Amino acid sequence: MVRRRAVIRLSGTRARTLRRASLLLASFLVLLPFLFPFAWMVMGSLKSQVAYTAYPPVWTFRPTLDNYEKVFTTGHFGLYALNSTIVAGAATIIALLLGIPAAYAVARYRLTWVGLLLLVARMAPLIAFVIPLFVLYAKLHLVDTYTGLVAAHLLITLPIVVWMMVGFIEALPREIEEAARLDGAGAVGLLWRIVVPLTAPGIAAASILSFIFSWNNFLVSVVLSGYHTKLLPVGIFNFLGYESINWGPLSAAASIVTIPVLALALVAQRYIVRGILSGGLLG
Amino acid sequence: MLAPASRLGYARSRAQGGVQGKRRFAGDRYAAWLLPLPAALVTAVLIVFPIAFLLYMGFCQWFFESASTWRWVGLENYIALVTDSRFVGALWHTLYFAALGLVIQIPLGILIALLFHQEFPGRGLMRTLLLLPMVATPVAMALVWVMMLDPGMGVIRYLLGTIGVASPAWLSNPNTVIPTLVMVDSWEWTPLVALMCLSGLAALPTEPFEAALLDGASPWTRFWYLTLPMLRPTLVIAIVFRVIDLLKVVDIIYVMTRGGPGFSSETLNVYDFFVGLFYYQIGYGSAIAVVLFALVLGVTLLLMRVRRATW
Repeated sequence: MVRRRAVIRLSGTRARTLRRASLLLASFLVLLPFLFPFAWMVMGSLKSQVAYTAYPPVWTFRPTLDNYEKVFTTGHFGLYALNSTIVAGAATIIALLLGIPAAYAVARYRLTWVGLLLLVARMAPLIAFVIPLFVLYAKLHLVDTYTGLVAAHLLITLPIVVWMMVGFIEALPREIEEAARLDGAGAVGLLWRIVVPLTAPGIAAASILSFIFSWNNFLVSVVLSGYHTKLLPVGIFNFLGYESINWGPLSAAASIVTIPVLALALVAQRYIVRGILSGGLLG
Repeated sequence: MLAPASRLGYARSRAQGGVQGKRRFAGDRYAAWLLPLPAALVTAVLIVFPIAFLLYMGFCQWFFESASTWRWVGLENYIALVTDSRFVGALWHTLYFAALGLVIQIPLGILIALLFHQEFPGRGLMRTLLLLPMVATPVAMALVWVMMLDPGMGVIRYLLGTIGVASPAWLSNPNTVIPTLVMVDSWEWTPLVALMCLSGLAALPTEPFEAALLDGASPWTRFWYLTLPMLRPTLVIAIVFRVIDLLKVVDIIYVMTRGGPGFSSETLNVYDFFVGLFYYQIGYGSAIAVVLFALVLGVTLLLMRVRRATW
C-alpha cells in the first residue's frame, strides 16, 4: 500500500485527484440503484393523482400532501402506527429486561445452551413458530391481543438483544467486575451498577435494532393480529387494490412505515451489521 | 474510570456486614443459573414448546375451525408430501431462489466491497447509505418495487425504454418471476454481503500485498491469490447467513406475487403459509414447516462442515 501511494505521488497530485474522482463517481453509480427506490417512493408520495398516473413518469411536479392526508383519513393507519409502536416498543423493553441478564450469564458463566437455543431460533423459519402459536393462541384467546403479539415478537427481539449484548459484555475488562465482586457486590448489583452503565451504548444499539426488526416483521402480525391490533406492515396492504393500485397513497403509506426506521438505522449505523449477524431477522 | 470506581466504593460500604457476605456467596453460586432463568423460561415457552408442538402436529391430522378432532396419522403427512406436486414445485422454487440469490449477491457484494475499500472522499457516508435497503421495512419496499416494475406504467419500463431496452414482463411471466424476486431480494441484502466483506478487508494484513506489489503482481493476481483466499472466513459466514435467509424468504414473495402467476414463484414458506394459515390444514402445514426447518438446518450444518474440512 505504502509503495503504491508513493508511485501515485510521483505521477503528481493531478493523477491522484483523478483517481479519487473516478472512484467517487463509480461508487455513486453503484449506490444509485440501491437508493433509487427510496427516492421514487418519496417522490410518488408527494405527487398529485394526475402526476402519479402519468406515463412517461414525471420527474418535476408541484408537491402536495394530499396522499398523506388520504392515508390518515381513510382506514385506520394512525391506529396501525400506534399498534406498531406499542408492540415493537414493548417487545424491545421486555427483551432488554430478560436478555441482558441472560447475555451476562452467557458471556461470564459460559452458559452456551441459552445461546445455542437462540441460534436455533435464528435459523428456524418463523412459520415453524407461527403455526403452533396460532393454534395455541386460538385456544387461549390471545389472537388479536397486544400480549400475544408482544410475546411472539420476543422471538425476534430476544435473540438480537442477547447476542449483541454478549459481544458488548465480553468486551468489558473483567478486572472491574472482579474488584466489585471482592468488595461484596452480588450478581444483581454487579449487573445493575457496573455492567449496565458500562454497556449503555451497546444497550442503545441493541434496542434500536430490535425495535427496527420488530417493526418490520410481517409474518407474525399477518397471522396473529386482528382487527384491533393490526400492525403497519399488514395495514399497508389496504392500499393495494387489485384492479387499480392507488400509487400515491401507497407511496405515502410506504414512506410513513419506512422513514422512521431509516432514521433510527442511521443513528445506530455502526452496529447494524453486527446486530443483523448476531441473530436478528427471523423470517 | 471515575464512575465505576465510585460505584465500587458504594458496593464496598454496603458489604461491610457479615449478612451481606453470606448473601454474596449464595448469590454468586446461583447467579449462573438465576440470571438467565427468566430468559430461559421465555425461550422454553416461545421456542422449545412451539417446536415440540410442531413436530407432534406434523404426525396429526387436524383442521382448524371445524369440529374435527386431532387424529394421529403417523407419517401420512410426510408421505403425502412426496406426491404433492405443488410441494415438490415449491421445494424446487426454494432451491432455485436460494441458489440464484447466492450467485448474484456474493460476487456482487465482493465487488462493491472492493470498490468501497478504496480511499476517496465521502466513503463513510456512502457506506452508511448502503445500509438503508436492509433495514427498510421489506413489505413497504416490496410494494414500491411492484409499483416500479409495473408492466404498463412502471418507471423501470420507462428507464429501460430510454436506453432502447424492451422491458420483460417481470412478475407476470412464470419464467422471469423468480429472477425478478431474486433481484428485489438482492437489492435488499447484497449491501449486507458488501459490508461484511468490507470489515473483512479492513482486517487483512498489509504485508502480503506490499510484497506482491514489489513482485509486480497484477491487480487481478493480487485479488485472486491474496484477497480472495484471505477473505474466505468472512465469505463463509456471509454465505451461511444468506443461505439461511434465502431459503426462508417469505414476505417479499407473498407481497409481490402471492406465489403466482399460478404457483410459479411459490416457495416452501409461501406454500406453507397458504396450507397452514389459509386452508387451516394444521397437520399438513406443520409437516411442511418441519421439512423447511430441516432443509435450513441441513444446509447450514453442511456448510459448517465444508468450512471445517477446508479451513
